[in-house]
Amino acid sequence: MKADTNFSEGCGIPAEARKTLTQIETDRAAYKRKLIISFIILAIAMIMVLIALKLDFKFMKNQLPFIFAGIGYTLLVSFMAISLACFLAIVGALGRLSKNPVFNSIASSYVSLIRGTPLLVQVYMWYLALPQIGKALEGYGFTGIQAFFTLPALTAGILALGVCYGAYMTETVRAGIQSIDPGQTEAANALGMTRSQTMKRIIFPQALRVIIPPVSNEFIAMVKDSSLVSLMGVWELSYRAIKMGRRHFQSLEMLITVALIYWMMCIMLQYFQEKLETHMARGDRSIR
Amino acid sequence: MMENDSPMVKITNIHKVFFPDMHVLCGIDLEVKKGETVAILGASGSGKSTLLRCINFLEEPTAGKVVVDGITIEAGEKDKLRNGRIRDIRKRTGMCFQAFNLFPHMTVLENIIEGPVTVLHQKKEAATAYAEQLLQWIGLSEKRDEHPSRLSGGQQQRVAIARSLAMKPKVMLFDEPTSALDPELVGEVVEVMERLAKEGMTIIAVTHELHFARDVADRILIMDNGNWVEQGPPEKIFNNPEQERTRQFLAHIL
Repeated sequence: MKADTNFSEGCGIPAEARKTLTQIETDRAAYKRKLIISFIILAIAMIMVLIALKLDFKFMKNQLPFIFAGIGYTLLVSFMAISLACFLAIVGALGRLSKNPVFNSIASSYVSLIRGTPLLVQVYMWYLALPQIGKALEGYGFTGIQAFFTLPALTAGILALGVCYGAYMTETVRAGIQSIDPGQTEAANALGMTRSQTMKRIIFPQALRVIIPPVSNEFIAMVKDSSLVSLMGVWELSYRAIKMGRRHFQSLEMLITVALIYWMMCIMLQYFQEKLETHMARGDRSIR
Repeated sequence: MMENDSPMVKITNIHKVFFPDMHVLCGIDLEVKKGETVAILGASGSGKSTLLRCINFLEEPTAGKVVVDGITIEAGEKDKLRNGRIRDIRKRTGMCFQAFNLFPHMTVLENIIEGPVTVLHQKKEAATAYAEQLLQWIGLSEKRDEHPSRLSGGQQQRVAIARSLAMKPKVMLFDEPTSALDPELVGEVVEVMERLAKEGMTIIAVTHELHFARDVADRILIMDNGNWVEQGPPEKIFNNPEQERTRQFLAHIL
């Protein structure tokens, strides 16, 4: 037998195979190069459009600190709302999977109602309509309850966003839990674990891995939807931008500025998401 | 073999009907003595896995009675303490699955101590010490800190056996433990099962592995369509079966 067909010691790579390998490598490098060039051209084109629009860059630069001061509210609303949403999503998912008819029906109705109505309507509901409910309740003898039902704009915004995203995320978490092989539950049961032990120790840690990408996605979407609290006069990013734009009749400049700020924030979040995903995926492929 | 001891596992008149009218088990009785190794054979779909899963209530029998190590549970009881008693049975029975079902997010060691720590509330150090003994016993000490995905099928099934043994069970249930394995990996798993049998563990195994059935099992039971066809010591079943159905089945697997 010739040396280059000796399997046990690995065979020599023939010249034409080497040529093909090099070709594949060059093609891949060329594609990467062209991709980067395309991105650069796109960026230049975008900047040129902005210049062609005769934007007042000086005005944009001067107003930037004022708009940027709103980032605190934007982040505050986003983080509080996502925390509330995560909590509601876990409770909601357990409800949707529950065999208890009361718990299950409440969770299902919550998801259905919230997903079936516009977020904008919900925001106004929390802010403008809730006091009226408080008033009605006072009519039934619950004195002093109206103050409790009249929410500050910030609180109303956090509740509206958290409750709304909680409904969407309920479905994400439910799907994540259901994606885990039933054999895992059986193995946990066979060891004598209770239902909650199984959920906490076996199912949830595995489901978490599955739901991190969609939940990060929701979070990125929420950062932008936090602009809806501007409707209630919270001085966050977009509220400031719109206000300044109107005052100076330079809405285009202000809107582009604030859009870029949101974009940068989302790029950063996406970066963290990728980091988190690699971290979670470390050391384990799927079992089969 | 063992004299006058009450049986470790006693199943009486078990029926399993899947809605609406699929009769999988038709009034099965089975007694397994302490230390006995029993192999259940039968064509696929004959109900043997369902029967095994009824013993630790992964499958709820539609009618009948199960007694494991003195704990009695009847089908269809409405009793608040029933779930607790089912868990008591599960703590006393180890189960190995065809697909191993190791926990992929935990290392080998974490898999093995999960039951003792979470269910039996053992100290982590004590559980780890025993887990290390078990790992040595199955010959996988060096895989202690690997995740299951980095193990071969045979190694995974051995870890799954160790995970069950960590609970110090009275009975081991094997549900086709070698069916998902490449042929060259079957031997290492059967070897572990054989040592377990020799050390006096009570074993009920649903398997088609001939060496185990013929040389390790004390008794073989043949199931067909949810009924026992025939039972007896391996020599009799393999060399001199009474029933035509047994002969047909053996002709297929031999």
